[in-house]
Amino acid sequence: MRSVLTGLRAWLVQRVTALYLLAFIIYFIAHFLFASPSDYDTWRSYAAQGDVKLLVLAGFVALLLHAWVGLRDVMLDYVKPISARAVALPLVAGALIAIGLWMLVTIAPLR
Amino acid sequence: MKISIFRYDPERDSEGRMQDYEIEPEPHEAMLLDLILRLKGEDDTLTLRRSCREGVCGSDAININGRNGLACITPIRALGERAVLRPLPGFPVIRDLVVDMTQFFKQYVSIKPYVVDPGPMPDKERRQSPQARERLDGLYECILCACCTSMCPSYWWNPDKFVGPAGLLQAYRFLADSRDRDTKARLDDLDDVYRLFRCRTIMNCTEVCPKALAPSRAIERIRLMLAERAL
Ligand code: SF4
Ligand code: SF4
Ligand code: FES
Repeated sequence: MRSVLTGLRAWLVQRVTALYLLAFIIYFIAHFLFASPSDYDTWRSYAAQGDVKLLVLAGFVALLLHAWVGLRDVMLDYVKPISARAVALPLVAGALIAIGLWMLVTIAPLR
Repeated sequence: MKISIFRYDPERDSEGRMQDYEIEPEPHEAMLLDLILRLKGEDDTLTLRRSCREGVCGSDAININGRNGLACITPIRALGERAVLRPLPGFPVIRDLVVDMTQFFKQYVSIKPYVVDPGPMPDKERRQSPQARERLDGLYECILCACCTSMCPSYWWNPDKFVGPAGLLQAYRFLADSRDRDTKARLDDLDDVYRLFRCRTIMNCTEVCPKALAPSRAIERIRLMLAERAL
Protein backbone atom coordinates (compact mmCIF):
# COMPACT_ATOMS: atom_id res chain seq x y z
CA MET A 1 0.00 0.00 0.00
CA ARG A 2 1.31 3.40 -0.93
CA SER A 3 -0.14 6.29 0.97
CA VAL A 4 -0.07 9.86 -0.26
CA LEU A 5 2.23 10.90 2.54
CA THR A 6 5.20 8.61 2.07
CA GLY A 7 8.91 8.61 1.36
CA LEU A 8 10.28 11.95 0.32
CA ARG A 9 6.95 13.73 0.51
CA ALA A 10 6.40 12.82 4.16
CA TRP A 11 9.95 13.84 4.94
CA LEU A 12 9.58 17.19 3.21
CA VAL A 13 6.22 17.85 4.84
CA GLN A 14 7.79 17.27 8.21
CA ARG A 15 10.66 19.72 7.53
CA VAL A 16 8.47 22.41 5.99
CA THR A 17 5.84 22.26 8.75
CA ALA A 18 8.63 22.36 11.34
CA LEU A 19 9.90 25.62 9.81
CA TYR A 20 6.43 27.11 9.73
CA LEU A 21 5.80 26.14 13.34
CA LEU A 22 9.11 27.62 14.40
CA ALA A 23 8.27 30.95 12.74
CA PHE A 24 4.73 30.75 14.13
CA ILE A 25 5.90 30.21 17.70
CA ILE A 26 8.52 32.95 17.49
CA TYR A 27 5.90 35.35 16.10
CA PHE A 28 3.46 34.64 18.92
CA ILE A 29 6.08 34.85 21.65
CA ALA A 30 7.16 38.18 20.21
CA HIS A 31 3.55 39.35 19.99
CA PHE A 32 2.94 38.52 23.63
CA LEU A 33 6.20 40.08 24.75
CA PHE A 34 5.89 43.37 22.86
CA ALA A 35 2.19 43.84 22.19
CA SER A 36 0.64 41.82 24.94
CA PRO A 37 -3.18 42.16 24.81
CA SER A 38 -4.36 43.95 27.96
CA ASP A 39 -7.65 42.07 28.36
CA TYR A 40 -9.76 39.32 26.91
CA ASP A 41 -11.63 41.56 24.47
CA THR A 42 -8.47 42.94 22.87
CA TRP A 43 -7.15 39.39 22.63
CA ARG A 44 -10.39 38.24 21.05
CA SER A 45 -10.60 40.99 18.49
CA TYR A 46 -6.95 40.43 17.65
CA ALA A 47 -7.60 36.73 17.11
CA ALA A 48 -10.67 37.46 15.00
CA GLN A 49 -8.69 39.41 12.36
CA GLY A 50 -8.71 37.64 9.02
CA ASP A 51 -4.95 37.28 8.60
CA VAL A 52 -4.41 36.17 12.21
CA LYS A 53 -7.11 33.55 11.77
CA LEU A 54 -5.41 32.31 8.64
CA LEU A 55 -2.04 32.20 10.41
CA VAL A 56 -3.48 30.17 13.27
CA LEU A 57 -5.42 27.78 11.05
CA ALA A 58 -2.35 27.20 8.90
CA GLY A 59 -0.40 26.70 12.12
CA PHE A 60 -2.78 23.98 13.17
CA VAL A 61 -2.71 22.27 9.82
CA ALA A 62 1.09 22.31 10.05
CA LEU A 63 1.01 21.00 13.60
CA LEU A 64 -1.34 18.15 12.74
CA LEU A 65 0.59 17.10 9.63
CA HIS A 66 3.83 17.29 11.58
CA ALA A 67 2.36 15.22 14.41
CA TRP A 68 0.97 12.65 11.98
CA VAL A 69 4.27 12.02 10.20
CA GLY A 70 6.14 11.89 13.51
CA LEU A 71 3.70 9.64 15.34
CA ARG A 72 3.37 7.34 12.37
CA ASP A 73 7.17 7.03 12.26
CA VAL A 74 7.20 6.01 15.92
CA MET A 75 4.42 3.49 15.35
CA LEU A 76 6.12 1.97 12.30
CA ASP A 77 9.21 1.41 14.46
CA TYR A 78 7.66 0.14 17.66
CA VAL A 79 4.16 -1.18 16.96
CA LYS A 80 5.02 -4.43 15.18
CA PRO A 81 1.91 -6.62 15.06
CA ILE A 82 -0.30 -5.71 12.12
CA SER A 83 -3.43 -6.04 14.29
CA ALA A 84 -2.11 -3.50 16.82
CA ARG A 85 -1.19 -1.18 13.99
CA ALA A 86 -4.63 -1.50 12.46
CA VAL A 87 -5.97 -0.10 15.72
CA ALA A 88 -3.25 2.41 16.60
CA LEU A 89 -2.92 4.18 13.24
CA PRO A 90 -6.64 5.01 12.72
CA LEU A 91 -6.93 5.93 16.41
CA VAL A 92 -4.16 8.51 16.14
CA ALA A 93 -5.38 9.74 12.77
CA GLY A 94 -8.90 10.08 14.17
CA ALA A 95 -7.69 11.99 17.22
CA LEU A 96 -5.68 14.40 15.05
CA ILE A 97 -8.60 14.98 12.71
CA ALA A 98 -10.87 15.61 15.70
CA ILE A 99 -8.44 18.22 17.04
CA GLY A 100 -8.35 19.83 13.61
CA LEU A 101 -12.14 19.99 13.35
CA TRP A 102 -12.41 21.37 16.87
CA MET A 103 -9.94 24.11 15.97
CA LEU A 104 -11.84 24.88 12.81
CA VAL A 105 -15.23 25.29 14.51
CA THR A 106 -13.62 27.35 17.27
CA ILE A 107 -11.60 29.74 15.16
CA ALA A 108 -13.51 30.10 11.91
CA PRO A 109 -16.65 31.73 13.37
CA LEU A 110 -14.64 34.27 15.46
CA ARG A 111 -15.49 37.86 14.58
CA MET B 1 44.37 -7.22 31.50
CA LYS B 2 40.91 -8.74 31.67
CA ILE B 3 38.90 -9.67 28.61
CA SER B 4 35.25 -10.75 28.88
CA ILE B 5 33.93 -12.51 25.85
CA PHE B 6 30.37 -13.43 25.01
CA ARG B 7 30.10 -17.20 24.71
CA TYR B 8 27.25 -19.12 23.18
CA ASP B 9 27.26 -22.64 21.78
CA PRO B 10 23.85 -23.48 20.32
CA GLU B 11 24.41 -27.20 20.97
CA ARG B 12 25.14 -26.81 24.66
CA ASP B 13 23.85 -23.46 25.94
CA SER B 14 20.27 -22.32 26.18
CA GLU B 15 21.50 -18.74 26.36
CA GLY B 16 24.71 -16.76 26.13
CA ARG B 17 27.06 -15.98 29.01
CA MET B 18 30.14 -13.84 29.50
CA GLN B 19 33.45 -15.61 30.08
CA ASP B 20 36.38 -13.79 31.67
CA TYR B 21 39.97 -14.28 30.58
CA GLU B 22 43.11 -12.90 32.21
CA ILE B 23 45.79 -12.12 29.62
CA GLU B 24 48.89 -9.95 29.50
CA PRO B 25 49.72 -8.47 26.09
CA GLU B 26 53.20 -9.38 24.86
CA PRO B 27 55.46 -6.83 23.17
CA HIS B 28 54.78 -8.13 19.67
CA GLU B 29 51.01 -7.95 20.15
CA ALA B 30 49.60 -4.60 19.11
CA MET B 31 45.99 -5.23 18.19
CA LEU B 32 43.02 -6.73 20.00
CA LEU B 33 42.78 -9.52 17.40
CA ASP B 34 46.25 -10.75 18.45
CA LEU B 35 44.98 -11.29 21.98
CA ILE B 36 41.78 -13.01 20.88
CA LEU B 37 43.73 -15.36 18.63
CA ARG B 38 46.10 -16.25 21.51
CA LEU B 39 43.05 -17.00 23.66
CA LYS B 40 41.68 -19.16 20.88
CA GLY B 41 45.00 -21.00 20.78
CA GLU B 42 44.45 -21.92 24.44
CA ASP B 43 40.71 -22.62 24.14
CA ASP B 44 39.85 -23.70 20.63
CA THR B 45 36.09 -23.70 21.26
CA LEU B 46 36.22 -19.89 21.14
CA THR B 47 34.74 -18.95 17.77
CA LEU B 48 35.17 -15.82 15.67
CA ARG B 49 35.59 -14.71 12.07
CA ARG B 50 38.74 -13.09 10.80
CA SER B 51 40.81 -13.18 7.69
CA CYS B 52 43.04 -10.35 6.51
CA ARG B 53 44.02 -9.14 10.03
CA GLU B 54 44.63 -5.67 8.63
CA GLY B 55 41.27 -3.99 8.23
CA VAL B 56 40.50 -4.79 4.60
CA CYS B 57 38.26 -7.85 4.62
CA GLY B 58 35.66 -6.68 7.13
CA SER B 59 35.12 -10.09 8.68
CA ASP B 60 36.12 -9.47 12.31
CA ALA B 61 33.63 -6.76 13.23
CA ILE B 62 32.58 -7.16 16.86
CA ASN B 63 31.26 -4.98 19.64
CA ILE B 64 34.20 -3.80 21.74
CA ASN B 65 33.34 -2.10 25.04
CA GLY B 66 29.96 -1.13 23.64
CA ARG B 67 31.18 0.17 20.31
CA ASN B 68 31.44 -1.72 17.05
CA GLY B 69 34.87 -2.03 15.49
CA LEU B 70 37.33 -4.33 13.76
CA ALA B 71 39.37 -6.30 16.29
CA CYS B 72 42.36 -6.35 13.93
CA ILE B 73 42.80 -2.57 13.86
CA THR B 74 41.78 -1.81 17.44
CA PRO B 75 44.99 -1.08 19.37
CA ILE B 76 45.29 -2.91 22.68
CA ARG B 77 46.59 0.33 24.21
CA ALA B 78 43.29 2.07 23.52
CA LEU B 79 41.34 -0.48 25.59
CA GLY B 80 42.71 0.10 29.07
CA GLU B 81 42.59 -2.69 31.63
CA ARG B 82 39.36 -4.33 30.58
CA ALA B 83 37.70 -5.22 27.32
CA VAL B 84 34.17 -6.54 26.93
CA LEU B 85 33.62 -8.26 23.59
CA ARG B 86 30.23 -9.11 22.21
CA PRO B 87 28.87 -10.13 18.81
CA LEU B 88 27.44 -7.35 16.61
CA PRO B 89 24.24 -6.05 18.22
CA GLY B 90 20.96 -6.53 16.38
CA PHE B 91 22.20 -9.53 14.38
CA PRO B 92 21.26 -13.13 15.26
CA VAL B 93 24.13 -14.92 17.00
CA ILE B 94 25.30 -18.18 15.47
CA ARG B 95 28.00 -18.94 17.99
CA ASP B 96 30.22 -16.86 20.30
CA LEU B 97 31.29 -13.79 18.30
CA VAL B 98 29.94 -15.05 14.98
CA VAL B 99 26.66 -13.53 13.77
CA ASP B 100 24.29 -14.35 10.93
CA MET B 101 24.73 -11.69 8.23
CA THR B 102 22.09 -13.05 5.83
CA GLN B 103 19.67 -10.17 6.30
CA PHE B 104 22.47 -7.62 6.01
CA PHE B 105 23.58 -9.00 2.65
CA LYS B 106 19.99 -9.32 1.45
CA GLN B 107 19.62 -5.60 1.98
CA TYR B 108 22.92 -5.01 0.20
CA VAL B 109 21.86 -7.07 -2.81
CA SER B 110 18.49 -5.30 -2.87
CA ILE B 111 20.06 -2.00 -3.93
CA LYS B 112 21.57 -3.65 -7.03
CA PRO B 113 25.24 -3.17 -6.19
CA TYR B 114 26.46 -3.13 -9.78
CA VAL B 115 26.48 -0.72 -12.71
CA VAL B 116 23.28 -0.99 -14.74
CA ASP B 117 23.42 0.13 -18.36
CA PRO B 118 20.95 -1.38 -20.81
CA GLY B 119 22.89 0.10 -23.77
CA PRO B 120 25.21 -1.99 -25.96
CA MET B 121 28.34 -3.36 -24.37
CA PRO B 122 31.37 -1.20 -25.17
CA ASP B 123 34.23 -2.92 -27.00
CA LYS B 124 36.68 -2.66 -24.17
CA GLU B 125 35.52 -0.94 -21.02
CA ARG B 126 33.11 1.63 -19.66
CA ARG B 127 35.14 4.78 -19.51
CA GLN B 128 34.98 7.37 -16.78
CA SER B 129 36.71 10.72 -16.46
CA PRO B 130 39.01 11.24 -13.47
CA GLN B 131 36.56 13.84 -12.13
CA ALA B 132 33.62 11.44 -12.34
CA ARG B 133 35.75 8.77 -10.71
CA GLU B 134 36.55 11.14 -7.86
CA ARG B 135 32.89 11.31 -6.94
CA LEU B 136 33.15 7.69 -5.81
CA ASP B 137 35.79 8.49 -3.20
CA GLY B 138 34.47 7.93 0.29
CA LEU B 139 31.98 5.42 -1.13
CA TYR B 140 33.84 2.61 -2.85
CA GLU B 141 36.11 1.97 0.17
CA CYS B 142 33.36 0.30 2.17
CA ILE B 143 34.37 -3.23 3.21
CA LEU B 144 30.83 -4.29 4.24
CA CYS B 145 31.91 -5.04 7.78
CA ALA B 146 28.43 -4.08 9.07
CA CYS B 147 29.80 -2.05 12.00
CA CYS B 148 27.52 0.81 10.95
CA THR B 149 24.33 -1.13 10.23
CA SER B 150 24.65 -3.06 13.47
CA MET B 151 24.87 0.21 15.46
CA CYS B 152 21.83 1.74 13.77
CA PRO B 153 18.69 1.73 15.94
CA SER B 154 16.48 2.16 12.87
CA TYR B 155 17.95 -1.08 11.49
CA TRP B 156 17.35 -2.90 14.80
CA TRP B 157 13.63 -2.11 14.58
CA ASN B 158 13.18 -2.90 10.88
CA PRO B 159 16.04 -5.06 9.57
CA ASP B 160 13.80 -6.59 6.93
CA LYS B 161 12.47 -3.29 5.56
CA PHE B 162 15.09 -0.58 6.21
CA VAL B 163 18.15 -0.96 3.97
CA GLY B 164 20.51 0.26 6.69
CA PRO B 165 23.53 2.57 6.43
CA ALA B 166 25.91 0.15 4.69
CA GLY B 167 23.37 -0.67 1.99
CA LEU B 168 22.43 2.97 1.54
CA LEU B 169 26.06 4.03 1.25
CA GLN B 170 26.33 1.51 -1.59
CA ALA B 171 23.03 2.70 -3.08
CA TYR B 172 24.55 6.15 -3.32
CA ARG B 173 27.83 4.73 -4.63
CA PHE B 174 25.90 3.55 -7.71
CA LEU B 175 23.69 6.62 -7.94
CA ALA B 176 26.87 8.68 -8.03
CA ASP B 177 28.52 6.52 -10.67
CA SER B 178 28.67 8.28 -14.06
CA ARG B 179 28.47 4.90 -15.84
CA ASP B 180 25.20 3.86 -14.27
CA ARG B 181 21.96 4.49 -16.20
CA ASP B 182 19.47 3.27 -13.64
CA THR B 183 19.03 6.43 -11.56
CA LYS B 184 15.26 6.62 -11.86
CA ALA B 185 14.58 3.04 -10.83
CA ARG B 186 17.12 3.28 -8.01
CA LEU B 187 15.46 6.40 -6.60
CA ASP B 188 11.95 4.97 -7.04
CA ASP B 189 13.01 1.92 -5.08
CA LEU B 190 14.13 4.02 -2.10
CA ASP B 191 11.21 6.45 -2.05
CA ASP B 192 8.85 4.76 0.41
CA VAL B 193 8.35 4.91 4.19
CA TYR B 194 10.86 2.20 5.01
CA ARG B 195 13.83 1.64 2.73
CA LEU B 196 15.55 5.00 3.15
CA PHE B 197 13.27 7.13 5.29
CA ARG B 198 13.52 5.01 8.43
CA CYS B 199 16.85 6.83 8.89
CA ARG B 200 16.49 9.49 11.60
CA THR B 201 19.95 10.94 11.18
CA ILE B 202 21.07 9.44 14.48
CA MET B 203 24.55 9.30 12.91
CA ASN B 204 25.79 6.25 14.84
CA CYS B 205 26.82 4.87 11.47
CA THR B 206 29.26 7.63 10.61
CA GLU B 207 30.50 7.79 14.18
CA VAL B 208 31.44 4.11 14.21
CA CYS B 209 32.71 3.30 10.69
CA PRO B 210 36.23 1.86 11.05
CA LYS B 211 37.08 3.07 7.54
CA ALA B 212 36.04 6.64 8.43
CA LEU B 213 33.30 6.67 5.81
CA ALA B 214 30.08 8.66 6.25
CA PRO B 215 26.93 6.66 5.45
CA SER B 216 24.77 9.42 6.95
CA ARG B 217 26.18 11.89 4.41
CA ALA B 218 25.44 9.49 1.57
CA ILE B 219 21.88 9.16 2.88
CA GLU B 220 21.59 12.94 2.91
CA ARG B 221 22.76 13.05 -0.71
CA ILE B 222 20.13 10.52 -1.76
CA ARG B 223 17.46 12.62 -0.05
CA LEU B 224 18.75 15.62 -1.96
CA MET B 225 18.59 13.71 -5.24
CA LEU B 226 15.01 12.74 -4.45
CA ALA B 227 14.14 16.31 -3.53
CA GLU B 228 15.75 17.75 -6.65
CA ARG B 229 13.85 15.30 -8.78
CA ALA B 230 10.55 16.16 -7.12
CA LEU B 231 10.89 19.95 -7.17
S1 SF4 C 1 30.29 2.00 5.78
FE1 SF4 C 1 31.99 1.60 7.14
S2 SF4 C 1 31.09 0.57 8.92
FE2 SF4 C 1 29.62 0.47 7.26
S3 SF4 C 1 29.99 -1.51 6.31
FE3 SF4 C 1 31.14 0.03 5.17
S4 SF4 C 1 33.16 0.03 6.10
FE4 SF4 C 1 31.80 -1.03 7.51
S1 SF4 D 1 22.13 8.21 10.43
FE1 SF4 D 1 20.49 6.88 9.72
S2 SF4 D 1 21.50 5.09 8.97
FE2 SF4 D 1 22.99 6.18 10.24
S3 SF4 D 1 22.78 5.23 12.26
FE3 SF4 D 1 21.41 6.96 12.12
S4 SF4 D 1 19.42 6.18 11.54
FE4 SF4 D 1 20.98 4.65 11.07
S1 FES E 1 40.47 -9.45 9.87
FE1 FES E 1 39.99 -8.47 8.00
S2 FES E 1 39.15 -6.60 8.67
FE2 FES E 1 39.85 -7.46 10.51
